[in-house]
Amino acid sequence: MTKHINNPKNELRRAKIFNAIKAAAPTVTTDVKSIEAEALELLKESEFARPKLLSEDATQALMLRIEAGLVIGTSCEKISTAHDLPNAVNQFFSKHFLPKELKVQNIEPLQKLNWEGISTDVDIQQDNTVGLCWAEYGIAETGSFVVHSSPEMPILLNFLPLYLIAVIPKSKILHYMDDYALIANEIAKKKETPRNMCLISGVSGTTDIEGVLVQGAHGPEVLHLIIIEDQ
Amino acid sequence: MQVNSPENFTENVSEALAQPNLKKVIRRTTDKAETKRAEAVTNFPEFENARLQGQKIKDHTIKYMDHYLAEFEKNALAQGTIVHWASTAEEASKIVLDICRQHNAKKVTRSKSMLGEEIGLAHAFDNSDIERIETDLAEHIIQLAGDPPSHIIWPAMHRSREDVVKLFREFHTDPTYSEEITDLVRSARRDLRTKFLTSDIGISGSNFLLADSGSSCTVTNEGNAELTITPPKVHIVTAGIEKLVPSMAHAVPLLRLLTRSATGAEITQYNTFHNGPKRANDADGPEECHIVLVDNGRTKMLAENMEAMLRCIRCGACMNHCVVYKHIGGHAYGSVYPGPMGSVLTPHLNSLKVANKQTHACTMNGRCEEVCPVNIPLPTLLRSLRAKSWQKKYEPLTNRFVVQSFAIMAKRPKLFQLLSSCGVIFMKVFSRKGWIKYMPFTSGWTRNRDLIEPESTTFMHQYKKMKKNKSSGA
Repeated sequence: MTKHINNPKNELRRAKIFNAIKAAAPTVTTDVKSIEAEALELLKESEFARPKLLSEDATQALMLRIEAGLVIGTSCEKISTAHDLPNAVNQFFSKHFLPKELKVQNIEPLQKLNWEGISTDVDIQQDNTVGLCWAEYGIAETGSFVVHSSPEMPILLNFLPLYLIAVIPKSKILHYMDDYALIANEIAKKKETPRNMCLISGVSGTTDIEGVLVQGAHGPEVLHLIIIEDQ
Repeated sequence: MQVNSPENFTENVSEALAQPNLKKVIRRTTDKAETKRAEAVTNFPEFENARLQGQKIKDHTIKYMDHYLAEFEKNALAQGTIVHWASTAEEASKIVLDICRQHNAKKVTRSKSMLGEEIGLAHAFDNSDIERIETDLAEHIIQLAGDPPSHIIWPAMHRSREDVVKLFREFHTDPTYSEEITDLVRSARRDLRTKFLTSDIGISGSNFLLADSGSSCTVTNEGNAELTITPPKVHIVTAGIEKLVPSMAHAVPLLRLLTRSATGAEITQYNTFHNGPKRANDADGPEECHIVLVDNGRTKMLAENMEAMLRCIRCGACMNHCVVYKHIGGHAYGSVYPGPMGSVLTPHLNSLKVANKQTHACTMNGRCEEVCPVNIPLPTLLRSLRAKSWQKKYEPLTNRFVVQSFAIMAKRPKLFQLLSSCGVIFMKVFSRKGWIKYMPFTSGWTRNRDLIEPESTTFMHQYKKMKKNKSSGA
């Protein structure tokens, strides 16, 4: 869908800005291919301008990062298969003294699991809830998980609950943010870019009152990442 | 909201220095930020490479700004975003308000955006019949207090916990009676939750605009941007045209630099790329998305050889390390952008005539340039603004007289030495126990601190004597 504003004033303002740029830098080339080549060249420097990971193995690097306390309010564990997930969730409830209620993302790999004894459709607009989502990717560099908005992924599921559990398939754990940017580029080429691509690295926090860190400012106070090995 | 004027910088500074606790509260946050940034840089040995890469990425985008702006527009339109252009702050603010009125919006939620402050959005909403709700905790605090922001990362750093306790008790519907910071944050969480979910329009800024996809990127540690943007039917982005980068891969190196430089954290918790309105059948998200691309002095900076300033990624490291900012805080600058970066930006967003005093509020110690994640030569830019201010005769007559007199003396060494010797004797008259508390013509200095008593003779006299002793000794 392409929406142009049929507004002459907007066109005039646009022209004014472009003319001012041209007037400021009249000698600059507009050869698109050379601009693209220059832009690509800049990315070659990334290899020498990013931090070393804690391990060469992406999954291990991500877990080590979280275990070292480098990702605010976040813990992690590894399970063998998705079938072990309800048990891991039950342990999470016990650890945090929570009732067995959560909102499970409406996605087939999660919905098909045996959630017996657990209520799986709480209203996340209420506070103090638990959310469970299936991440698209994990990123070792930053201890992040990535979610994409879709009919099955409400973005608010990651932002409203006080407790959040994110499941990351092991095969989807990337080394660096740059690796995710390449994937995003491929998605864009296929014109399948979702409305939102969220890189989430820890819980909702603030230091706005006297510089003291408080978790759970608006969103999750506790984040637990579960890596599924056979996925 | 009481907003200081940049024109009254000297009076603003006197007021700030007279506030007994201001320096303490500023230093509590900035000193911590300074320490944490140093740790983050130590833990990232590739930081210098990253900084150079970040600088090159910004320089490249600025060099081809028209190309990337056109690319961004094309791709944003293809995503379904409605693109608006604004040459001035007034135009930008009017566009946003018009969109809100077209949708009969009664209340809007805003996530923190310095560009939003720059174009006067807060003020425009407060003068309209639309309720403005700030969702960043610090912005929420200063909205309740009626203050302008005092720092670009921690806008409420000038407010103490006691202030926040009073404000929340007065304004929150279900306030806490605890004075614990955790409980205060919970009180804000309760108060803002319903407001997030019932807002008509969500307004955000953008840390980066991706030309190849037409995306805008928000960076927050609270997650308030996503909560601001997702529930309402309409999302409005306001962004300066210098926020462009070619692609997400080019934004990544800048994300690495941004948080480390701002707070010392390695990454901010929430980095989200927003791509137009919700797709068909999406579970949530706005149905309409607008972006207002704002010039407001940026092309003027390009034309006046100040393009290095357009690299700025708004991390606030320069002000965290600025000895002047640490003494006077943000409000004294009388501008949305305080500290070193503000002293360069404000003369372009406002005018040099109005904001020339800020360019002199710098010791030239070079700390701001040392810590800038994209190598902006802030002292050099400030010096060039000082030179321009001198050429345009914006300096007060007394300053011009003193500098011109100095220029005359500096060209005549004997006269200079004679007057310096007289100056030493003159200063000694007012000295008590090694310090000068008062002396004619120096009230600008002695109003806030003492002058140290000079040596008995001038530097040149001592130098000559030392040289003579050395040669006679040899």
